[in-house]
Amino acid sequence: MSESEAVHAEVETLFALVRERYGGRLDAEQLAGVRTAIVGIVEAACALRAVRLTNADEPGQPFAPHRADP
Amino acid sequence: MAEDVVWSPVRRLAEGIRSRRLSPVALAETFLDRLERLGPRYNAVVTVTRARALEQARRAETEIAAGSYRGPLHGVPYGAKDLLATSGGIPTTWGASPFKDRVFDFDATAIRKLEEAGAVLCAKLAMVELAGGMGYRQPNAAFTGPGINPWSRDAWSGGSSSGSGSAVAAGLVPFAIGSETWGSILSPAGNCGLAGLRPTYGRVSRHGAMALCWTLDKLGPLALTADDCGLVLEAIAGRDPADPTTADRRFRYDGAGPTGRRFRFGVLRDVTDGCEEAVRENFARSLEVLRELGSVEEVTLPDLPYDDITRTILFAEATSAFEDLIESGGIAGLTAPEDRYTAYARDAILAKDYLKALRLRGVMAREADRVLATLDALVAPGRTTVAAMLDGEVRSAIRGTARDVMGAVGNGAGLPAVAVPNGFGARGLPTSLQFMGRAWEENLILAAARAYQSRTDWHARHPPEA
Repeated sequence: MSESEAVHAEVETLFALVRERYGGRLDAEQLAGVRTAIVGIVEAACALRAVRLTNADEPGQPFAPHRADP
Repeated sequence: MAEDVVWSPVRRLAEGIRSRRLSPVALAETFLDRLERLGPRYNAVVTVTRARALEQARRAETEIAAGSYRGPLHGVPYGAKDLLATSGGIPTTWGASPFKDRVFDFDATAIRKLEEAGAVLCAKLAMVELAGGMGYRQPNAAFTGPGINPWSRDAWSGGSSSGSGSAVAAGLVPFAIGSETWGSILSPAGNCGLAGLRPTYGRVSRHGAMALCWTLDKLGPLALTADDCGLVLEAIAGRDPADPTTADRRFRYDGAGPTGRRFRFGVLRDVTDGCEEAVRENFARSLEVLRELGSVEEVTLPDLPYDDITRTILFAEATSAFEDLIESGGIAGLTAPEDRYTAYARDAILAKDYLKALRLRGVMAREADRVLATLDALVAPGRTTVAAMLDGEVRSAIRGTARDVMGAVGNGAGLPAVAVPNGFGARGLPTSLQFMGRAWEENLILAAARAYQSRTDWHARHPPEA
């Protein structure tokens, strides 16, 4: 499967999920808009996945344990 | 009171108030009248807070007469983007029809801090619904109508702090508070010919502000000058136990310094790609001014998908923040047709991709700091175009219809930036210049912006119609 075919397959799979969840409240034009938005999301995800990171590259958003008293 | 207080910078108003040449009550009356009379012309106002304003103004007048002067915002009118909670029965609508009658029983920390500084809240200002987080593509995306630009009533005032931009540019308030997740302070500032300051993430408490994206949202001022932005930032900055992301770093605005400093400016290679011709030309002229203030060198960032990183974080967090509204179908009540369905698509964002964006954000932040460590500021056009037409499509890096590396890096990495006007482009609309600095270097970028404004007069020009 080529890269574009893989992207297309991913878009269609995710679109099917979204249509299953929300299709009942959307008309054809809105569904087309949702599909276009999913294409953008998948393209962005592909760009992110193409960058290799190391095991040490943590999210830039550290978690802090909570304790109410000092 | 004479109309010559209109378009007076905060610093000049403060001098008048402190010396008791200007009455806070008369000032409030002047701006309340303008908000009520002219606000509708620009779709700039949600609520004029007349009763609260006059109460605050009378208190300021009494205190100052008694010799108790709180500082440069004492007795100065302002407006707040309508995503900041206000008590006293004043609605906080988030620009969205489903929330247009909602009232909070407390003040957001920024509102409380401005009250403590003696500032006078005159209006809650219009904004793009839910700060634009649902995917709008057009200016008409608020129950108050599209934000209208005082420089041309056919043009948009910017988003999402549209009323904050219109109101200051039209002389309806001397300064306003806006918010930026990606572009929502710098964009209306640029579109309306104002100074707009996006502080470092964590500089200003978000407590009581609508959450769009927890790791991207910042509050900051729009004003006539960079100097005014510094005065306002000092009042609203600081640690807040109610917002654990606020940093324990005191901000004291250094409005005097550094005098005589030679600045080191950097320009990202290809940063004007995709800009309108007038934007490129005005930026080139701005660089000539900046070379008189110091050095300008070309710099590069590594090849990373900056827009995709920040966009993925924004979409994922915004969709979680408004999960109830989206899942319930409540977005059907929003104004812009595309805001009624686009968010459903974001169920397609996979958790591992969101986490990859967060991991890449760390790389992005380190790379941006590496470049900025040798500079005082990165400079760039504030926006690639002048303001969109009211009936046109809004080009946006958030949706991928424009490119904005400075915005993606600046917001994704939480870096401060200030935009100031630097000329005019198509249809006589303003263009802008932005200075972006290292984290916590607001004083440095404000000094650079002040130095630029000391050699130009774009900030002294005001819309003829207003």
